[in-house]
Amino acid sequence: MIVGKQKPIEETWAMVKDFSRVLVFGCNTCVAVCHEGGNKEAQILASLMRMKATQEGLSLEIRDSGIERQCEHEFFESAEKDIEWADAVLSLACGVGVQFMVKRYPEILVYPGLDTCFLGDVEKNGLFTESCQACGKCVLAETAGICPVSRCAKRVLNGPCGGSNKGACEINKDLPCAWQLIVDRLEALGRLADYERLAPIKDWSTERAGGPRKLIHEEFMK
Amino acid sequence: MNIELLTLSEVDAVSGEKGDFTVRVRRHPRYIDPSKCIACGACAEKCPKKTDDPFNLGLGKRKAAYIKYGQTVPLKYAIDPDACLYMLKGRCRACEKFCPTGAILLDDKESFTDVHVGSVILAPGFSPYDPTGVDHLGYGRWPDVVTSLQFERLLSPSGPSLGHVSRISDNRDAKKVAWLQCVGSRNINRADNAYCSSVCCMYALKQALVAAEHVGQGGEFTIFYMDMRCHGKEFDRYMDRAREAGVRLVRARPHTIDPGPNNTGVIMTYAGEDGKAVREPFDLAVLSVGMETDPASRDLAGRLGISLNAHRFAETASFSPVQSNVPGILVTGAFLSPKDIPQAVTEASAAAAEAARDLSAARGTLAREKTYPPETDVSATDPRVGVFVCSCGINIAGVVDVQDVAEFARGLPGVVYVENNLFTCSTDTQALIAEKIAELNLNRVVVAACTPRTHEAVFADTLREGALNPCLVEMANIRNQCSWVHAAEPEKATKKAKDQVGMAVAKVLGNEPLDKIRVEVVPRALVVGGGLAGMTSALALAGQDHEVILVEKADRLGGNALLLERTWKDEPVAQAVAQLVSRVESHPKITVYKNARITSVDGSVGSFISTLEAGGETREITYGAAILAVGGKESRPDEYLYGEDPRVLTHLDFDQRLKEDPASIRRAESAVFIQCVGSRTPERNYCSRVCCTHTLKSSINLKQAKPDMNVFVLYRDIRTYGLRETLYQKARSLGVMFIRYDLEDKPRVEAGADSLVVTVKDHVLGLPLELAADLLVLAAAIEPADAHDLLHLYHASANEDGFFTEAHPKLRPVDMSADGLYIAGLIHYPKPVEETVTQALAAASRAGVLLSKSELSLSAATSRHNADICMSCLACFRMCPYNSPYINEEGRVAHNELKCTGCGICAGVCPAKAFSVRNIRDDQIVSMIDALTADLCQGPGFSGSQA
Repeated sequence: MIVGKQKPIEETWAMVKDFSRVLVFGCNTCVAVCHEGGNKEAQILASLMRMKATQEGLSLEIRDSGIERQCEHEFFESAEKDIEWADAVLSLACGVGVQFMVKRYPEILVYPGLDTCFLGDVEKNGLFTESCQACGKCVLAETAGICPVSRCAKRVLNGPCGGSNKGACEINKDLPCAWQLIVDRLEALGRLADYERLAPIKDWSTERAGGPRKLIHEEFMK
Repeated sequence: MNIELLTLSEVDAVSGEKGDFTVRVRRHPRYIDPSKCIACGACAEKCPKKTDDPFNLGLGKRKAAYIKYGQTVPLKYAIDPDACLYMLKGRCRACEKFCPTGAILLDDKESFTDVHVGSVILAPGFSPYDPTGVDHLGYGRWPDVVTSLQFERLLSPSGPSLGHVSRISDNRDAKKVAWLQCVGSRNINRADNAYCSSVCCMYALKQALVAAEHVGQGGEFTIFYMDMRCHGKEFDRYMDRAREAGVRLVRARPHTIDPGPNNTGVIMTYAGEDGKAVREPFDLAVLSVGMETDPASRDLAGRLGISLNAHRFAETASFSPVQSNVPGILVTGAFLSPKDIPQAVTEASAAAAEAARDLSAARGTLAREKTYPPETDVSATDPRVGVFVCSCGINIAGVVDVQDVAEFARGLPGVVYVENNLFTCSTDTQALIAEKIAELNLNRVVVAACTPRTHEAVFADTLREGALNPCLVEMANIRNQCSWVHAAEPEKATKKAKDQVGMAVAKVLGNEPLDKIRVEVVPRALVVGGGLAGMTSALALAGQDHEVILVEKADRLGGNALLLERTWKDEPVAQAVAQLVSRVESHPKITVYKNARITSVDGSVGSFISTLEAGGETREITYGAAILAVGGKESRPDEYLYGEDPRVLTHLDFDQRLKEDPASIRRAESAVFIQCVGSRTPERNYCSRVCCTHTLKSSINLKQAKPDMNVFVLYRDIRTYGLRETLYQKARSLGVMFIRYDLEDKPRVEAGADSLVVTVKDHVLGLPLELAADLLVLAAAIEPADAHDLLHLYHASANEDGFFTEAHPKLRPVDMSADGLYIAGLIHYPKPVEETVTQALAAASRAGVLLSKSELSLSAATSRHNADICMSCLACFRMCPYNSPYINEEGRVAHNELKCTGCGICAGVCPAKAFSVRNIRDDQIVSMIDALTADLCQGPGFSGSQA
């Protein structure tokens, strides 16, 4: 899922404080699971901003609302009135949701409330870790199910590099070397021979080097 | 309603026999009729006679008409005949004149009542050692020498100095305080108390930590001790905390306390560890006095024929630790030996288990149950709130203007009736509330009084008597959270009390009537672990006529007890264990599964379902309660040449060698014991509790068998708590030599050709000593069993050392935090035989209470799950301590409300707000905040506020 982190309130406050009607708008799927951008967080942030308005003696009105996902048209129906009411929307969705709203409501100013961080898993409660870069051409079959594209700082495909030190990456001793993990797992699985196969040069055109990507299902588009 | 409380009463005589006793009770006159006393305090206020307050140990005064302290049960005044002017001089009677209810009975007389019972439990407690007259301590001579119990009162916010730590001599701040340990304990010179009082090291640490908090900057706290005895669960960590907070621990025994200049403060003289004399001034000296059996308890024992030992404690056997020598009379608490709260609470439950076993045939025959009128349906009616504002005598009304609060409440939305009561919790006021509910059709009640922790149940019951659902009451705690803490600012306190009442009214408007959840109890217990604890629990429950399933992972019952030779009191273990095994195996109510384990757990309190794997077969079992007694083990040391040299043994190795090849032990010319091998280290920061006693027992055996053998004990602190201290004395008198070492400078062991060479630094000489040892016995740490699978299955928790965690370390020492689960034995903490048996009985008692009910009614104030908006993110699933959210067959989160305690964690973490706790809903909390901030939230930003 997509993991994001709320921007510092000073930053978001500066975006919205000069408007008179502000809607803090939650997105209740990915970023709700990481406790940063759901409808509940929208309520809390709106409440904080109301306090801030009182403290600063500003007369703006701040409401909160939210929908299941800000990246699909159909969900917006229930919040249409709230959105139309506002002169600025602070969206707590990921960057996808913010831009989707911008496309959908060309007249309304939409601001990002989150910094979208990465595609990650919930390793354990409260710990979200990056594990995919959406490179468009999965190599996990060749790397024992451990992704060197997202987990190796250099994204090397025939690692490890010379910076691997006692299982740790040279950029941070608390960061495991992805290639050490790959070799260890291959060894544990008795498949070290796979390691001997050289990976060819990767086709990065499927990643965003080839421009924004699209997935088309024509059968659904009729 | 099933406990009859006779206060001011003493047992005069007991006749009859087990199952049929007649107890003659001497009832001292109270001089006040408890049925009329409303505890208004007028008698005490008007009483002209002041006398020393025994509750404050002479540090304060009280009147001749008094209550012992504010929270006494029953809350009824009494008159002290030794102080009352009328009784001493024949005139006064002021109390009689001013008592508004005519409760004073100045001609009250002593009387006798006969009570007919089947079982008697003696829990007469202890009295603190009185150090008066021990010249070198100066107690009673120098004003700034106090006992630890007096200091406890000085620290208490309700004590004579309101918690301010001050010198007695001049009332100035006491910044520098010293504690002297073992006053009247471990002392056969100036006191006749050979034993250790067990609790004083910990209470001194606690007092020092609390004092540090009260005194703040500039405080200096010193404890003078012989051995720091922190042998309980988490106690060593507590000592570390005290050290980190700056408490100074000095191993010395000050031999003289002189008064300071002008008789203020004291000057102590002591020899430091290096042998040099030090004179040091302190503001206060606190004597950590020990425990003794009160002379009155000794008389009682005499009248009842209870045997006392040489130390004047009741004598019991390790395998029947609460049974006195008189059948049917049980003994418990400090009457048996000095002990701390968890041990005393555990022992009390053990005594209850024995009584329940003795009386099981008559169970329930005298029990009374209350009946209530049918509940009124209030769902469709508009709110009609009654507010009852309590004065709590002067407790609240002395600070808060209760009339003003009542007046304010009248103006609140939904409120139709307001009343101020002297004591809202008194029986007559409760009856009045019930009447008002009926008369005025009240459908919600707010009581502005004290804490719901103690009183919500009382008022919930009042509502039921008034035919209302008990969930329709709210309390505003305007005493503990207001009048008590804001005594200096009555006006602000009154404003705060109004806010509290306003919030309670706002909340109660949203309260819904809730029905209790009913669960049928499966009348069967599961006991996991067939060691001493498990077998004892199983027999205790079966003795109460409950069915028991006993699951043992090994192929035989007995556990660690099979490896033990004798208890510290020299009782043979093997025989007793063999008897237990055969009683368990032949008991018709107990089904034993060996080579067995639990592989799944479902259900909850009263009705668990598990899969049991035994001998390759799988079966499903159901049970209402489970006792987890999976034990522990002696660890394998990885130091001191253990496993490398055959002369290095652990305690259990040594016992086995002694049994199988005694000659090889007897040949040794010298033996060295090393204590704390793997205990009290950074990796295992706890004391294994049993090893000092085991070492002393073994060293005494060696010395007795071969008096010229050199026996050395290398130790850090000798922790022979309680009566075990006599072993320490005996070992020393037999010539066992004790050498102390520090964790930073541990002994070294090398294998020599003829013997082992143990090198240890002598702390007096400061030089290394070399000891030749033919035998080296290591007091290896006791570890909990690896029970991760069980913890996971029951969603239970363990501390960082792996010992299972109890619901409350002091007050619920055998309950686990999830209902229906209990702990006993080594999996809770290392402990000797008699404590294991005690705890196993206690666990059986607690489980028996549950199993003796046919149906449980569980709190309805649980969390409600709205599956429609739940996105199965699993935050609740991961955070719930009770395992009530689960993943259902469709792979989505669902909720088992039977397991839910309404703690609210799920409602807090749920990003979708799919969980809400009944009657603590977000909208209620928002309306409380709105009520509180109604006059603040006029700011422009608030116009858009949404719940």
